[in-house]
Amino acid sequence: MINFIRKRIQTGILTEKIETNNKLDNIKKGIKTLVNKKFAGSLAIRMVDSGSCNACEAECNALSNPYYNLESLGIYFVASPRHADILLVSGVLTSNMYHHLLEAKEQVPSLKWIITLGDCPLMQSVFEKTYAIMAPVQDHIEVTHHIPGCPPQPDEIIKELLKFLKKI
Amino acid sequence: MRLIAKFAKDVENSFEIVTVFDTKTQKETIDKNTPIALSIAHKYPSALWYERKIFDDFGIVFTNSFDTRPLLHHERFPQDVHPLQKSFTAKTIEFTDFRPYKYKTVGGDGVFEVAVGPIHAGIIEPGHFQFSQDGERMLHLDIRHFYTHRGIEKMVQNKSLLDARAIVGRISGNESVAYQTAYMDIISQASNTALPVEIKSYHALLLEFERLIHHVSDIGFIPNDAGFSAALSFASKLAEDSRRIFKQLTGHRFGFDAVSFKIPNFNHQEFLNFLNELHKEIKWFETWIKGVPSLWDRFDTTGILTHTKAVKYDSVGVMARASGVALDRRDNDFYKQHGFKIALQTSGDVAARFSLRIMEIYNSIEMMKSLLQDIKPLHVKVPVKFNNGSYQTFIESSIGELFMSVDVSGGLIDRFFVRDPSHVNWQVVHAMMLKDIIADFPLINKSCDLSYAGNDL
Repeated sequence: MINFIRKRIQTGILTEKIETNNKLDNIKKGIKTLVNKKFAGSLAIRMVDSGSCNACEAECNALSNPYYNLESLGIYFVASPRHADILLVSGVLTSNMYHHLLEAKEQVPSLKWIITLGDCPLMQSVFEKTYAIMAPVQDHIEVTHHIPGCPPQPDEIIKELLKFLKKI
Repeated sequence: MRLIAKFAKDVENSFEIVTVFDTKTQKETIDKNTPIALSIAHKYPSALWYERKIFDDFGIVFTNSFDTRPLLHHERFPQDVHPLQKSFTAKTIEFTDFRPYKYKTVGGDGVFEVAVGPIHAGIIEPGHFQFSQDGERMLHLDIRHFYTHRGIEKMVQNKSLLDARAIVGRISGNESVAYQTAYMDIISQASNTALPVEIKSYHALLLEFERLIHHVSDIGFIPNDAGFSAALSFASKLAEDSRRIFKQLTGHRFGFDAVSFKIPNFNHQEFLNFLNELHKEIKWFETWIKGVPSLWDRFDTTGILTHTKAVKYDSVGVMARASGVALDRRDNDFYKQHGFKIALQTSGDVAARFSLRIMEIYNSIEMMKSLLQDIKPLHVKVPVKFNNGSYQTFIESSIGELFMSVDVSGGLIDRFFVRDPSHVNWQVVHAMMLKDIIADFPLINKSCDLSYAGNDL
């Protein structure tokens, strides 16, 4: 335990130490203000992989690491669509996920927003149309915002979330 | 004999079923008018998913099989549509009425079922787990996947070998470099050009780097699923550091499109410093985590894959090695001269898989340091001419043995088949948890950390 505490003190707070990037800091401040104003301080996101390669999921997981620490801005990834404000959709929308995605969307309480993550849902990635792919997603559900990239990096996701918050 | 893969091809007037064992390859011709074959699943249980896939893809019926449920085609997929037949060219399908899938369950007084997925509570890929429960105790688990089935095999058909590179590299994000390296080997076989040792070493370095990142994030996520989140904070920091260095090296955080015909210029000393620093941090992590008894109380004897089952189900990779099966595609002269040592554990539980990952991290760091000495900036010509033929390759991805087989005809891909290590290993997961309670399942699943996208194709 003593070793752990020593390491903890030596390491310090990485979120402030490493991200001295002023631009990102300003973006983070912007997000915090808007989440406070428009979502009473907490914005819940439910992520659904509709046929992705897992890179977009890995980058979303990275948002919770000490460098990005997304939760400090009041943004949470939640376990159920019923707890969510936003449905974040990645992947090419396979025919096997189609009905499950629609079901998840139904379960999100209104008002709800759909954000697409990565190039796949818009069919802008390298994948081409096959019998098993139903993307673009916006042909099936209304999409409020799109986060481009293959996959979008964590800092890019944060920037795009600010754009989304300004938009609504 | 170990079954490595079983897949079919549509060759003009007949189908061909190819069965790849570790010691031999069998080919079987099937008449298109009476597409019937015999199952080998009684002897090789891992043949089951291959055969069910062959039925969905080609319509070949395995008459004596004990499980003929559809695999890739879910409740509303039209019956009698077999997309890998060459006569099938449609880009869309018409959904049919809902036909319920019959899960294999255990019946009895007080026995109930728990259905989990395809959408899970965390940020992970979709898959379905159907548990038969006796209270907290798991009696049986029926795993159903292929929710992320994108039709990759059909997608790359009739593309030129070079055009399909970007798609192959994005089949499974966590194993991108492994897929790219395997595909690069197919390209060099088909063009009859040997890659210079510098480029081979560079690709091997990227592959070890990918393995390292995968293992480092896992050694955080596994304790996290046992309620020890401090480990995740620590390891996710190291994983993020590594991804950033990976981006400096390859231009991409996951190494997409990084395995190519050139080696970029990068600062070897900086890279070495990073590796040394990482080694120190992992060492600290290991000492710290091994001194947390409550964590090992959850790890020890949980989710045991016995050596017998591992062999019976032809398991590969981390899962097999944690159960004492000495199986690693890097076990050759090239890797040995760079310091490869096979990592083995015997207990086959979560603790074994967790410790094995730490062992492999150290070995990867050591190999990367050695590989670095062979690497200098280099460009080789991209091959343009490809010979007709059938080419196979094996790569040890961060999950296990990856098998790829590509048939080339007229410079174009005639049949692309890849068998992700996860495809084999998923089939043994149900046999690992009969002594555990359902609350242990996330921990067991994470300790295996199999891919869904690579499995589903």
